[in-house]
Amino acid sequence: MNAIEARNLSKCYRLQGSVAPTMFGKLARMFRQEPPRLLWAMDNLSFDIRKGETIGVIGPNGAGKSSLLSLIAKTTAPTSGSVAANGRVSSLLELGAGFHSELTGRENIFLNGAILGIPKATLVKRFDGIVDFAGIREFLDMPVKFYSSGMYIRLGFSIAVEMDPDILLIDEVLAVGDTAFQIKCLARIRDFQRRGKTLVFVSHALQTVEEFCDRVFLIHKGKLVCEGKPAEVIFKYLKEYMGEGGGIHAVEYGSRDVEITGVRFLDPSGAETGAFTMGGGPLTVEIAYNARKRIDRPVFGFAVKTGNGFFVYGSNTQISGFNIDRVEGQGKIRLKINPLTLMQGNFFLSLSVHSWDHSVQYHRLEDWYPFVVKNSTQEQGIFRLSFGWEIEST
Amino acid sequence: MNIFSDIIAHRELLANLVMRNLKSRYKDSVLGFLWSILTPLFMAFIYLVFLRILARGIPMEEILIGVFAWQYTAQCIFNGLTCITDNGNLVKKVYFPRMILPLATTISNLVNFLLTLLVQFVLVAVLLGAHGQHISVFAFALPAVIVFHFVFCFGIVLFLSCANVYFRDLEHLVNVLVTALFFMTPAMYSFSMVEQIASACHFPVLAELYMLNPIAVVITAYRALILPGSAFPLTAGVAGGLVIAVIFVFAAYSLFQKLQKNFSDMF
Repeated sequence: MNAIEARNLSKCYRLQGSVAPTMFGKLARMFRQEPPRLLWAMDNLSFDIRKGETIGVIGPNGAGKSSLLSLIAKTTAPTSGSVAANGRVSSLLELGAGFHSELTGRENIFLNGAILGIPKATLVKRFDGIVDFAGIREFLDMPVKFYSSGMYIRLGFSIAVEMDPDILLIDEVLAVGDTAFQIKCLARIRDFQRRGKTLVFVSHALQTVEEFCDRVFLIHKGKLVCEGKPAEVIFKYLKEYMGEGGGIHAVEYGSRDVEITGVRFLDPSGAETGAFTMGGGPLTVEIAYNARKRIDRPVFGFAVKTGNGFFVYGSNTQISGFNIDRVEGQGKIRLKINPLTLMQGNFFLSLSVHSWDHSVQYHRLEDWYPFVVKNSTQEQGIFRLSFGWEIEST
Repeated sequence: MNIFSDIIAHRELLANLVMRNLKSRYKDSVLGFLWSILTPLFMAFIYLVFLRILARGIPMEEILIGVFAWQYTAQCIFNGLTCITDNGNLVKKVYFPRMILPLATTISNLVNFLLTLLVQFVLVAVLLGAHGQHISVFAFALPAVIVFHFVFCFGIVLFLSCANVYFRDLEHLVNVLVTALFFMTPAMYSFSMVEQIASACHFPVLAELYMLNPIAVVITAYRALILPGSAFPLTAGVAGGLVIAVIFVFAAYSLFQKLQKNFSDMF
């Protein structure tokens, strides 16, 4: 059975600038006869989401991801086409939306609960749990306008997790809050999945999408570009919309005497992918090159940076003692990372070919190739350290 | 889904929003609820003095009834105007029948009105008792007028709340119109005064036209039911006022239903 069905779903917004609509503004526009500027946030989408599925929605900023959730949640109406949700829909959009600043924490629990469609009986029963998780017991009878922003978010979240809809929509909530908050949030998502609920979530945290989703929708300029298995869609997204010159810091330069003509990320079975698992391996990067003339003793190098530009690791064939006598014409060089000790995150791979004495850069591609790593353990960090424990009691 | 079953499904939200409105109204001031009694009382006193100066003797009890009923209407107008725009964040983020917001505003003002009505009853009884009179036995029929008044106010709130979404500067226009409406409504004077003026200038149809204002009908009905010896004019004008009220509420309802789909795009 389908939980959500969309048919030729389209949504067009009229752009009216930043000012609020007024009577004078309307009159002024009538006289100027300006054609309204239109933005198609959603352009003819059709899809089915089966009951119990977890769907990830990814895409560049402004692709229409949030509009899609609003349409499913019925907070906004489609311009044409239809979307039907089978069951009760709740959305975890903005925590604490609907809090009333003059009311106390206690009163807001019931008000916000009612807004989110949580039955009063549930709120009464779970009241202590909500208060304790938010850690606001001593501030319970204080107006929420005196709360710190952390308390505000925690209270909003601890109310929101009591929602028990058939379909839950989540928009980037996982991006806020500290680690403890995120772990609790993810645990809640797992719990939802176990109970056969349908989930749709928008996220830029690709590793979370990869980890949780059964299927992923890639949206770009209001169109459903592709959908399918998380690893494949994420790979396509990284390759076509984020990386390959689209990366934030991406630069390319060099004399091109030796040119890197193609790069493929291969999983252990040899299939091309963009998503790997920490501890798994080998991660193989197959680099195709073309040397226009004979180059003696070239050096191939690589570097890894996190999605926000933090330099993680770098090395080359010279440092590793993998000496290449010469290259001429086309060929391939394979970089094998085994085991993969990077921890969960988005990464960018830089590649380079230069001369033995570093005096000539043949071809350099900085932050060019994105890939994703997901965790297989509960460890935290960027890089996995090799370690052991010892204990001694005296 | 039918709008009634939709609202019933969200009755807990409605109850919570009504409580929120009432709590936030009373919470910020020490006098709290007392202000909603004192404001119309002060107003009634001012009108009384003002009218005495103009040598128009209007009994205090008539002014009290008129001003309290007007107060409910005016508060619905001003709170109703912003009841969607003030909750823009909510409208944008969460789905619920949008009609809940104007309904909660009209209901919370009704609760406030009913409470002030209790005080008003005591005051009117005392004032009537001073010249040996009692509250009319017809007062038991008041709920019918209150229901009618409520439905008409709901219509006003529906209309203004969705108009304000599209024209955020409506407030200025409404300020002027409310003042005009106040003088066209028998709040600080009585309908019999209007009749006198109409016949004095040999233009009796003026009294009929005057009653086309549904609030004039409502306030006159309150007075007729509470005060002994005050008759309700069963005229064509009153019938017209009732019909206009019904048409207005239906028009406001269908306008709201038509526009509410796009509310979230306006924030």
